[in-house]
Order: sequence, then C-alpha cells, then structure tokens
Amino acid sequence: MSSYKETATRESCFQPGSTLCPGCMESVAFQNIGRVTDNGVKTIFTIGTSCGEVSTLAFPDVVAWGRGNAPPEAFEKSFSIIHNVFESAPTLAESIRDVADVLTSCGALQRPVQVLSFSGDGGAIAIGLRPLLHTIHRRTRITITVLVNEFFANTGFQYSPAATPFSDTSTTPAVGPTPGNLNMPLDYVHLAIAAGADLVAQISPAHGKLFMKTVEKSLECQGTAVLFVPAPCISGWKYDDGRTVELALLGARCGIFPTFIWERGQGGAVKDCPLEASERPRIEEFLAPQRRFAHLVETRKDTGEVVARPGREQTLEKLRAWTESNVERLYALAKLK
Amino acid sequence: MTTPELTVPLLRIQTRSGERYDSAIDLERVRAAHRPLHTARTEVTADGNTAAAIATLQMWRAVIYPGFPITPSTKWIETVAAHVAAQPDGIKRVKLLEAEHAVADYMAGAAAACRDLVFPTATSSVGLDHMTETTRSLGASGLGNVMIIDVYRATANYPLCIEGDPSDTLAHRDDGFIQIAARGKQQIYDTVLQAPCLGMHPDVMTPTMPGYYGIKDSHRNARLTVEADSAIHAFQDRWIRPCPLPGLINGDTAFGNCVTSRFFQGFKLEQKRRMEKVFEVLPAIGGDFERTFGRPGLAFFDAAGWPESGGVDLAVVSMLTPFPSAAVREKLRRARAVLVVNQAHHMGRGHLTLDVADALGNLPSAPRVLSAFAGLGGADVSESTWEAMLDVGRRALAGEDVADGRIYHEGAAL
Ligand SMILES: Cc1ncc(C[n+]2csc(CCOP(=O)(O)OP(=O)(O)O)c2C)c(N)n1
Ligand code: SF4
Repeated sequence: MSSYKETATRESCFQPGSTLCPGCMESVAFQNIGRVTDNGVKTIFTIGTSCGEVSTLAFPDVVAWGRGNAPPEAFEKSFSIIHNVFESAPTLAESIRDVADVLTSCGALQRPVQVLSFSGDGGAIAIGLRPLLHTIHRRTRITITVLVNEFFANTGFQYSPAATPFSDTSTTPAVGPTPGNLNMPLDYVHLAIAAGADLVAQISPAHGKLFMKTVEKSLECQGTAVLFVPAPCISGWKYDDGRTVELALLGARCGIFPTFIWERGQGGAVKDCPLEASERPRIEEFLAPQRRFAHLVETRKDTGEVVARPGREQTLEKLRAWTESNVERLYALAKLK
Repeated sequence: MTTPELTVPLLRIQTRSGERYDSAIDLERVRAAHRPLHTARTEVTADGNTAAAIATLQMWRAVIYPGFPITPSTKWIETVAAHVAAQPDGIKRVKLLEAEHAVADYMAGAAAACRDLVFPTATSSVGLDHMTETTRSLGASGLGNVMIIDVYRATANYPLCIEGDPSDTLAHRDDGFIQIAARGKQQIYDTVLQAPCLGMHPDVMTPTMPGYYGIKDSHRNARLTVEADSAIHAFQDRWIRPCPLPGLINGDTAFGNCVTSRFFQGFKLEQKRRMEKVFEVLPAIGGDFERTFGRPGLAFFDAAGWPESGGVDLAVVSMLTPFPSAAVREKLRRARAVLVVNQAHHMGRGHLTLDVADALGNLPSAPRVLSAFAGLGGADVSESTWEAMLDVGRRALAGEDVADGRIYHEGAAL
C-alpha cells in the first residue's frame, strides 16, 4: 500500500472544470479516487446518468476527466470513461473487465487495466438494483462505487430507496401532517454482501486516510469491491456553505450512515460510531443544519438546543429508533465472515 | 501494481476522439488463438439458429458471446455454449446475463472496450424491446462491432405469440441499426458473416441487426454449406480493418457524453451520413462475397420472381434499414400498381407500405400503391391468400374502388 502522503500528491484523473455544485461531496470523492487510481495502471471508469455524469461529461465544454499533465505517450496514465444509461455502470464495467481479461489470456493485452464503476444511489439501488446485484453475483473483478446522496438529485431531488426516513424529498414532501419520506431505507450494504461481494464498505471522503486506503484495497480485490460513499448534497440536503465534511462526519458518527468496512473471509468493523448510543452524537446535531429536516427539528432560541418541532416528537423518536437499529445492524453484519 | 515486461512497443496516434495507442492490443494474438470449426467447405444440416451460431463461432474476432434466452432465438446461445464448453482451453466465452437489458449494456461496454472485436447476440420480440433503452444508445454510438441477431417474433405479449413475424424488428426501425432480413438457412449464415464487414466499415461504423423468421426459419432444418474458417477470415479481413477511433482499452477517450441541442445536430447528422454510406458499401461487400463463395451476397432485394409469367412480378426487400428507396424506385418505376404485403401489425397502412409509397412519391407518374397485411404472427401465406390479395390489385387497376390495408388470412379479407 502507498503512503497517504504519496497518494495525496498523485495526479487525479478528475480535472478542473466540472459543474458539480460547489461543496458537492461527489467532487471530493472523484478527486480522491482519481488520485488513488494514478498507480501505474491504465484506468477505465464507467458512469451512469447522474449528477456526476452530466456535470463532468458535457461535450465539448466540460470533460473534466483525464490525467491532464501526464505525457500523452504514458499509456499507464491514459484514462477512458464511458457513460451509457442510468442503471448500466456496473454492467459496463463488467464487460470491459471481461474483454481485458480475454485479451490478456491470449497475450493480446500485456498491460494491466483497472475498471471502476460510478452510479448514484438511484442508478444503483433503485432502477439499477438488478444489474448491481448480478454483476456482484458474477464475482466481477471491479470496484463499484455508489455515490449515496439519498436522492435522484439530477432530476430535482426525488425520493430514492436510500433516503433517510422522514427526510423531505420532492416526491415525499413534508407537507401538512406528512413528515416526508415514510419508507425505511433499503439495506444495500447487506444486499451487496449477500450477492457475493468480497469487499463492501460504507465510507465517505470525510474519513480521508481511511477512504483512500479503502479505495486502494478495492483495486487489489480479486472479486467485486463495492464502496457506498455517503455524499452530502449541498443543494438537496440544503445546508450552508462549508459544512459538507462536517455533515459527512456527523452522519457517520451519529449512526445514520456509519463508516463500515467488511471483507469476505475476515469480517468487518464499524468505525468511528460506537454501538452504545450515549457515546454517539445525537441525531439532532446532524438533522438541524439541513433544511430537508426542517419540518422535524428546530433550534431553541433561548438554549440553542435542537428539539423536535411541536407535534413531531414521535416522528423524531421513530428516526432515533431506526438509527439505533441501523447501527446494530451494521455491527451484526461486521461479524459475518 | 507493476507493469510487466512488455514485448510490444506502443505507437500513439492522435484522433479526433482522443489518443489511440496502436499495438496496445495485439490482434494477431487473438487471431492465433482461434480454433477453427471447419477447415474445409462442408455440407451440414442445420436450423436457422444453428446456422447463425456457426457463423458467429467461425469469426476470430468474436470472443465473448453475451446472451439471454427467448423463444425462438434461444438455440443460438445454446449452440454457442455447447461449442465453448467443448473447448474449455479456448479463448471464446459465453456470458450469461440476467436480462436482455444487461446484454445490451454489456455489448455497449465490450464493444467500446475493444472496437476491433465483434460482439454478437441473438434475441427476439420482447427481448429486443427489453434492450431498447440501450439499443438506441448503440445505434448512435459508432460501434459497428455490435451485432444483434433478431429472430423475428410478434411483439408484444398481449396476446403472446411465439411465431415469427417481423413486428419486433420493425418496431426498432429508428434505433440506429442496419437491419437486414434473411430467408433460408444459407442466407442466414451468409448474412451473419457479412454483417460485421458492413457495420465496421470505417465509413459506416453502425451496429447491425440481421434477422430471420422465427420458427419457420429458426427451427426447421435444411442443408447448409459451411465455409472453412480460414476462407471466412480472409474475406472478413479484406473488409474489417483496425478501427481508426480509440476504444476504452487502447485509447484515452470518452463515450456517451451529454451535449446541448447546438451540438446534438452534428451528432445526428454524422449518424445519418454513416447510415447512408450503407448504400455504397453494401453492394460492394455483397459482390465480393459472391465472387469469393459463389453465392449471392448482401443485396437490397432478395432474388425472387413471380412463379407464373404474366403481368405480375414479386420483389422482396431484404434491406429494411436504411430503406433502399432509390433501388425500390428504380425497380418499380414502370409498374402500374404496387401491392405491398406487410407482415407486421401497423396502425396505418404498414411500415413497408409507407416506405414504398415514399420511394415512389417523386416519380412523374407514380404507380398506385396498395397495402395488404398477411402472415401476421408468422401465419402461412397460402396460395388462396395470395390470390385474394392479387384480386384487389387487379380490381384496383380496373378502376374499382377497393378496400386498402385489409388483413388477409386463408384466402379471406378479414
Ligand atoms: C430509464 C430512465 N429513467 C429516468 C431517467 C431520468 N433520470 C436521469 S438521472 C436520474 C436520477 C439519478 O439519480 P442517482 O442515480 O441517485 O444520481 P444523482 O442524480 O443523485 O447523482 C433520473 C431519474 C433516466 N435517465 N433514465
Ligand atoms: S445537486 Fe447535490 S449531488 Fe448534485 S452536484 Fe449538486 S451537491 Fe452534488
């Protein structure tokens, strides 16, 4: 494994010019994954229709990809990317991996190739759950990255099956007595393990070093590695500038999306999120800065304390109970081998 | 990871789609790894699906066969799978995906990964429909190395009918594929062999969709002349040259970008221009095929004629997309009336009728175009049905007011 310092100074394949919102966690993820992949191996990305795609692959103005300063003759620094439809990124990656493997098997390709797929949570676990699980099931040697902003952001922040309970989305609006999204999120971490992934992680770039190491590990994985990357979305979660990393850390620490790393045969661990609720930050700290939860909590002017809005007490307790079960679930999953 | 010691130096070429690293993929190694299926011209008995499977197995450029079963195309993937299983140390692989949608996505990634290999699959009816989201991407992609063999079957499932009419392929006229209809086992085999030559031609670069009738052609046996793999390779190598544009593996490139409407025009213009080149390239490939193998090659029409001499003639269009309007106009310009027999459901006068009428529209004295539907759902078109349809033509010529666009079956107008 490379040292963090060495990895951090590599040339990312994510280049300036994207139109992702300033403060979008996806750009931080792209930047860092882009650096890890500058490892002397030719890199191919596949990407589904999503914010990450429309904001980086607009011809001819914004193609924010490629290792800009690398000499063009350096094949190992060359970079290719393909977008097809919304749900197709894992299948595309699988096909590229297969072609490279067949070519390698007969000696036609002598240089190694690494393949990573990128989808939003909508592309991966709503419309694309079937291709996601089947590509994992076929034990494809790729890294599947799912950028989980809990919405269909690209089309205007509609509900996705990863949405936190009771969040306000444009299709599960918090209107009148209805407290936003009433569905419990799909257990995608467990699904990825059950489908046969060799490495499954839930980790955001806010956990910088661990994030880089996990990506690096995923590239060495001999089966399918699946990285769910919680990605605070400044426009959809509706928080103030400068709080992206803070919210990613808070969300992980309070138990909404705990950092989790698991490897087949070895089991896993929940990081930076104690099992004991009293040792974790209160969920209110995570909820209060985001206007998608403004119908749920408010900050008392006199004490500065974040409390349930009148009439929402039970809903907030339900969310707390779900968070508790979410943490317990991941601790239980960590024991799986 | 470290780069192993390399034996092939890289040649870098700049293209309008990014860098291309020539010799990053040594295609000669792929060719050398091919195990011939036939070393000499051979006579076999085969059904249509087997004929198509043999053709795809004989190509050295086809190394991965993605597929998903659907009647009546299933035997294509079964035949390929049996062959691949019998040669576990060969490089060819079957790729069983979870659905046709995934097959199409897979082909998009694979064909973009290496633009010099051919990626074939076979499907039918709702299977083709299930691919649609991506067939439209593929049609515009420039990936002429994708081949979807469509075994005609009625679409859709209400009511479900597994017999073959071409309503599936005709529902996909605008997906962007070159659509060629084949009849009989020999023509199926020959068409599949020529299709990648056309699709991968540098002026065309458009995916192909050869098709044939489900059940009648897919399932019934007939004698088939199979060529030696080496002869096929020599023929295909004359037409298929290394792709001038980079692929994902041998390039530094991007596929599937977004564009604003300003640039969309240019992409569509290029797509259309490439498709129009088929009119020039197809006859050249067909002619070379005939000279090489002594059988008719790709053509706009299937050789056909009316059994009895008299005032009636029969023309069978085998080139569905792009529609050979100029050739149709030329062929029919002296006709007094044209009866177009459509075999697929259409809410209007029939897909083929509209194209034929359009082709003849500009003639100074255009023949009258009449429309009929027959053989829907793969039904036999009996002699009495032909008679009933012809009767309409005769009466129209005699100046009678006749009903247009009727469905004919067993000699009756329904
Ligand atoms: C088949 C299909 N249905 C709907 C859409 C519209 N669409 C494009 S992107 C998108 C949402 C993407 O959501 P996600 O994958 O979570 O990525 P994000 O936009 O949040 O980055 C939708 C619904 C589409 N492109 N294709
Ligand atoms: S809408 Fe959200 S996910 Fe999309 S670019 Fe903006 S911050 Fe990122």
